[in-house]
Amino acid sequence: MSGIYKQCGYVLIRLCIGCNLIFFVSCQQATDDAGIRIRWADKRATGLLIPRQFAPAVSTDSLSQQLIVRLAGNETTMLGQFQLVDDNILFEPLIPLTRGLHYTVWVRDKRLGEIIIPGLNADDKPTLLAIYPTQDSLPENLLKIYMHFSRPMREGQSPKYVAVLKNRTDTLPGVFLDLQPELWNADRTLLTLWLDPGRIKRDLQPNKQLGTPLQTGVSYQVVVSANWPDAQGATLGRGTTKAFVTVPRDSLSPDPHQWAIQPPKQGSIDPLKITFGEPLDYSLLTETLHIIDEEGRTLAGKWQPVNEERSGVFDPAMPWKAGPYRLKIESRLEDLAGNNLNRPFDRDITRKNTSPTTRPFVDILFRVK
Amino acid sequence: MKKTYAILALGVAGLLFLATTTRPIQNQYGLATGTPAIKSINALTFGPDGVLFIGDGKSAAVFAVDTKDAVPVGKSAGADIKNIDQKIAALLGTEVANITIQDIAVNPVSKNVYCAVQHSDGTPVLLKIVGDKLSAVSLKEVPFSMLALTNAPAEDAKDRRGESLRVASISDMGYADGKVMVSGLSNQEFGSTFRSIPFPFTNTQDQASLEIYHAAHGKYETMAPIKTFTTTEIKGKKYLLASYTCTPLVLFPLDELKGGSHVKGRTVAEMGSGNSPLDMVIMTKGNESFLMMANSSRPVFKVNYKNLADYQGSLTTPVVENFATAGVDFVSLPLTNVVQLDKLDDTHMVLLQRRSNGSLDLWTSNERYL
Repeated sequence: MSGIYKQCGYVLIRLCIGCNLIFFVSCQQATDDAGIRIRWADKRATGLLIPRQFAPAVSTDSLSQQLIVRLAGNETTMLGQFQLVDDNILFEPLIPLTRGLHYTVWVRDKRLGEIIIPGLNADDKPTLLAIYPTQDSLPENLLKIYMHFSRPMREGQSPKYVAVLKNRTDTLPGVFLDLQPELWNADRTLLTLWLDPGRIKRDLQPNKQLGTPLQTGVSYQVVVSANWPDAQGATLGRGTTKAFVTVPRDSLSPDPHQWAIQPPKQGSIDPLKITFGEPLDYSLLTETLHIIDEEGRTLAGKWQPVNEERSGVFDPAMPWKAGPYRLKIESRLEDLAGNNLNRPFDRDITRKNTSPTTRPFVDILFRVK
Repeated sequence: MKKTYAILALGVAGLLFLATTTRPIQNQYGLATGTPAIKSINALTFGPDGVLFIGDGKSAAVFAVDTKDAVPVGKSAGADIKNIDQKIAALLGTEVANITIQDIAVNPVSKNVYCAVQHSDGTPVLLKIVGDKLSAVSLKEVPFSMLALTNAPAEDAKDRRGESLRVASISDMGYADGKVMVSGLSNQEFGSTFRSIPFPFTNTQDQASLEIYHAAHGKYETMAPIKTFTTTEIKGKKYLLASYTCTPLVLFPLDELKGGSHVKGRTVAEMGSGNSPLDMVIMTKGNESFLMMANSSRPVFKVNYKNLADYQGSLTTPVVENFATAGVDFVSLPLTNVVQLDKLDDTHMVLLQRRSNGSLDLWTSNERYL
């Protein structure tokens, strides 16, 4: 019997890999006496398959009344749904079953069997691909740090696994804002950490009491622990350190009119390169720039920050045609200190010449020859 | 024959009775039965007749779901569950470390507590708490409607269709006067988006997207994301009372919050450093009202409402630095590590609190704290 199950799982996995499916469902032979198996989807244990013949006396209508799944050693009945799937009773809990934990299946007060959800392979680990900004000299009023991971991470963990060291010795408390829920992108691979804005903003109580989180002319290290878990429970496995020194405060909005545009040649699919004269926000750079052609159409292509976010390149999907183009920049684009095209991060309103604007875009014209 | 007529008449009467008592709520709020594709639950708040609004930051959307939990209860003892995280973990078949309680909301009609839980892999779960009993709320085949939170500036809406939506997390949600109010945090730009969306949701998306400035002591003007908020009335005028990620407490006149406008708020208090506000509710005892505010690293604050109302100067009036001596009655209650807070009725709050013995308890407060 167990041989058949094993065979079944093997064939299914082979089939799924063969079809190049991202999500696959397979059955896996269990270590259990009652033949209970785990249903997998995308490396997550989404259910238990209980052979129908092990609970023959239970009618289809009363599955959820008579069958019980519990964490081993726990008396609480787990929440979930039972249904008949072919010759099996499928139990689907509200969340995937946890790797490394044991579960018991009961028919009323009779224990039917126990199953363990196997852990991930030891080498199946996520990696921290990059920390942004990339530069090693950053303004004193740096507002954001981005961390880019290779796969979805567990949320709400950064206070435990990210530290900032000053001069390689002192761990600084309260540098990042403890924000729950944390700011992850939709697939949980990019985390945004805010340096405490109340401490950066001049004249607020936190700023007066504690000062800015970073000071000019000091060397810092952002240290990321190897123990940070991902969504599956696997840890990074390797720590990462990013060292930087701080330079004076940046209180000026980015000025697109000072940017240098290197137009490509007509007929080529060469990238368009823009040099900003200062590093800009990594995440916004890929989304806030647009190229518009003479007819007002937005060009298809991809933006990438390069040169430590001091430049951006646009790879067009189609060859360039000769003619005038418009670089349209959304005003929400920020530099490293949170100054956007319309207003600086905090503005001294007693100074007359610093009025913020409300324009949604800034346009820069260029020509392809 | 007479018997047949009698049975028919009874049947018709029965049908009429059913038709009048089971009023289809779909018609009233535009909800249609189906399974909402909810990717995350950041925030919960109740609307009319047991309609629950679910803020889904990962989908950048708000879902309105009919809980069908709309039997009015005059007085309720509230909820009381010790070690609620352990109990939820056991019900879900996992360990405490793998779950996070995202938000709680009290159904103002039935007084039942709803609780959003997130598994470490991101799977959201909605639970209902009646007294000390926890049960799952199914989100399959329920009457619902959805509103996508768009960020596109109106004049360029066409260009941006299909691009990523910027809301990464919904920091708070509220419902008042037929409108769902949503404050969102972006994982990209640092700013405040606050939307006021009419309910029932319409196709036209008549929503206000606002950027809000607040002036620190009349000298520096900054923009910041709202972390939590509530609406209130002071001397007959409606206000949005918002608390920021940098914890000043700011008042905005609601009638000035219109689409695309930039409104300057009036800082009425600063709550100290290294702290993030979590939840706010307004409670009433006798003729007095109080703002209760839970914080990430401070006890629950109680602000006497009278003092907020007395702060009726011009919007740019600098706030006196030491708010305690400036007259805002600002009391730290002996309630520490309160992570969630909602209002059961005028004098009772439902709190989720990490006790000093490490236990995470859901309990209901009495008038003692007012």
